[in-house]
Amino acid sequence: MPSLHELQSTFARGLFDPADASVLAHLRGARGMDAAAGFAVYRNSTFSNYRTALREAYPVVLRLVGETFFDQAADGYVRATPSVFGDINIYGDAFGAFLSGCPGARELAYLPDVARLEWACHSAFGAADAQPLDTARLAEVPPEQLDELRFTLHPSASLLDSPWPVLSIWRVNQPDFAGEQSVDLAAGGDRLLVMRRGHDVDLEPLHAAEYALLAALAAGAPLGGAMEAALAEDAAFGLGSSLQRHVAAGTLVDFAIQ
Amino acid sequence: MNARLDPVPAAIPPARAGIGLRAPHYREILATRPDSGWLEVHSENYFRDGRPLWFLERIREHFPVSLHGVGLSLGSAGALDAEHLRQLKNLIERIDPGLVSEHLSWGAVDGRHLNDLLPLPYTAEALGRVCAHIGETQDFLGRRILVENISSYVRWRHDTIPEQEFVAEVALRTGCGLLLDVNNIYVSAVNHGFDPRAYLEAIPGDCVEEIHLAGFDEGATCLIDTHGRRVSEPVWQLYRETIESLGPRPTLIEWDTDIPALSVLLDEAATAQCILENMNAPHAHFRSLPPKGVHASLGAAHREA
Repeated sequence: MPSLHELQSTFARGLFDPADASVLAHLRGARGMDAAAGFAVYRNSTFSNYRTALREAYPVVLRLVGETFFDQAADGYVRATPSVFGDINIYGDAFGAFLSGCPGARELAYLPDVARLEWACHSAFGAADAQPLDTARLAEVPPEQLDELRFTLHPSASLLDSPWPVLSIWRVNQPDFAGEQSVDLAAGGDRLLVMRRGHDVDLEPLHAAEYALLAALAAGAPLGGAMEAALAEDAAFGLGSSLQRHVAAGTLVDFAIQ
Repeated sequence: MNARLDPVPAAIPPARAGIGLRAPHYREILATRPDSGWLEVHSENYFRDGRPLWFLERIREHFPVSLHGVGLSLGSAGALDAEHLRQLKNLIERIDPGLVSEHLSWGAVDGRHLNDLLPLPYTAEALGRVCAHIGETQDFLGRRILVENISSYVRWRHDTIPEQEFVAEVALRTGCGLLLDVNNIYVSAVNHGFDPRAYLEAIPGDCVEEIHLAGFDEGATCLIDTHGRRVSEPVWQLYRETIESLGPRPTLIEWDTDIPALSVLLDEAATAQCILENMNAPHAHFRSLPPKGVHASLGAAHREA
């Protein structure tokens, strides 16, 4: 008799590869069904579970491409991308990258970036909480060490830079949006800070310099280096007020001197 | 910091019906505090911070809560996911649940999760493996868990143990409790052509600490366990017989697809509550009571075996 591991491995291969029917030799269908019909119930439910999870994470992509295309893309993604967690809520992080390789999606050049924005929202929704930054501790830092500060962003925060107006695309495709549905794709790109504030995920457009500052800090750069990156975008950038704002708003939650 | 109330005690009331807590009902449940004896959630949906966990913690102040896992994969040939177990333990510490349950199924192999509840071959090897994993889980969590019988659409040709004996043996070997899903027994009984009452007679009644009820869909050739409908009439019948022979057990109405208004769930729970209290249920199909006494020795039968 095959081992438990062999049986489970064979079952899993059959779920994702329609050409691999070797599991059927090990199964009996329910009454009135052959093994293939019974196994098809599992194949359907597995793909259906993943479609549901991806639809919940990517509602705007779903609206943009329609159900038929979305489900085909989702099934292709599922075959190509094994789930590695028992928690299906965190499955689907690379769907945007997968979409960029889908032949039918190439006409919608902005689609992968919309998907990246939706994944940033989905991740932020369930990211860890964090205590606000201790401003008294920050005030005690000697001025000569300020350049060496390395900040930590809120666990839900992510930064997204796109050549497309993804925020407008996202907004007009929200279920409660009432207004002109069209978006001028030539309107230029967006630089966004996505993070959870309270229970809701906030999408905040940033100026180039502020984006450069936060992106550098998020990448682990010290404050001095991050300032240079910001000033390279805009020499008149108000660094102090921007930092204060992001400390007060909880974007920056911790720091270390290195 | 918000002032927090002392939560109600963790214990799930033994003779009460409860409902599955689902996201569309969070606000209404907090605002109206409906007459549900307890609430159950899918553990994995609360592994992370954010809105769902915030609501669960607030709701826990007013209701006993049970945690019902769908992703641990107790039946996998491979090792349990240590990170998944750690997240479950964190959630237990945070919520103080009255019961913690998992499924008697598998859903991961070779590092890939299938995120589904798949049937085990009922063999000595699988029995040994799932019992070892239950033992490991109970040791790690420092508490007893319940395991639930699943519904199925195929059987393994290699089965050597009837499912009900496999379920019973798991409880006896590991000391875990059983979460008896009466709908799953019915669905599998119809699909595989066995007698659900014979299944119930093999289950050690003392080990049953919770009962699940849900609705199924009728597929072209078999019943499909969708949790998307009201509990069907034959399942209510089987439930009544189960309660008559076991005595009252905490009973949960599960609904996972096409989630209806909260009032529909509460209405289903009220029907279960009537049966638990041995009252006349408000539905016509309870006029004909099943014959009594047939399954009175449901628990004793196994102990003699």
